[in-house]
Amino acid sequence: MRTSLNNIKRIEDYMAGRLLPGDKLLFDADRILNAETEHNVLAQRHTYTLIEKYGRKKLKAEIEAVHQQLFTNKKYRNFAQRVLRLFS
Amino acid sequence: MATTLNIQAWREELFITLYKKTFPASARYICKMGGTFDDAKDIFQDALVIYYEKVIAGPAQINNSDTAYLLGIARHLWLKRLKHNDLKRPLDNYDFEDEHEQAASANAIMAYLETAGQRCMELLRAFYYDKLAVKDIAALFGYAGERSATVQKYKCLEKVRVTVKQKALTYEDFLE
Repeated sequence: MRTSLNNIKRIEDYMAGRLLPGDKLLFDADRILNAETEHNVLAQRHTYTLIEKYGRKKLKAEIEAVHQQLFTNKKYRNFAQRVLRLFS
Repeated sequence: MATTLNIQAWREELFITLYKKTFPASARYICKMGGTFDDAKDIFQDALVIYYEKVIAGPAQINNSDTAYLLGIARHLWLKRLKHNDLKRPLDNYDFEDEHEQAASANAIMAYLETAGQRCMELLRAFYYDKLAVKDIAALFGYAGERSATVQKYKCLEKVRVTVKQKALTYEDFLE
């Protein structure tokens, strides 16, 4: 892999606690001495948060599609009526 | 996690089954506790998301049935919502401008990634959110092997990270 991708992997391993103690120490020092490293760590953390938000958003859309199917498709009419009757 | 190639169809089937097995009981409970159909729907859908993250894509081991566990989450969410509604009133004057700005920035980045970077986001979702096995991801996305899929994962992370950096900067400029 090219250097920039290895750097990304290294930050991932660092954040997941997968670096050996010596390597972790070096990385901690790099974060303090090198503003670019620190900036990359923060941006990468933000990236994982975005991936989680994206995943959740897509999953919710899939669940909503299932809901619509269950409450509009004739195939599931008995089920839908059983639930709707509770609220009438 | 299932090794089926069509993971979305598999999830659809899973959610239909869980809905049919558990939604009526969950809705009955929320109805009894004074909730509406829309409350029941919201709560159950959130419970399904949690169930998916903890059980399907997560490490949780369940001893009793799926249904009981899912019902438990839904009840917990409903009680939490009732409590939260009680607590909400005194917070009306709370200054949430900061949170609001951060959310706006995150939403702008998300909107951009959903269009310009969708293939990468889908790949990253499979790795980090759905937590599929690398060999399944390689097959799903048509990569020659686990190694190519992993390299592609890092390329996508890099791409999104660049976007995060750029958008964060332009957004700051925009605010000043």
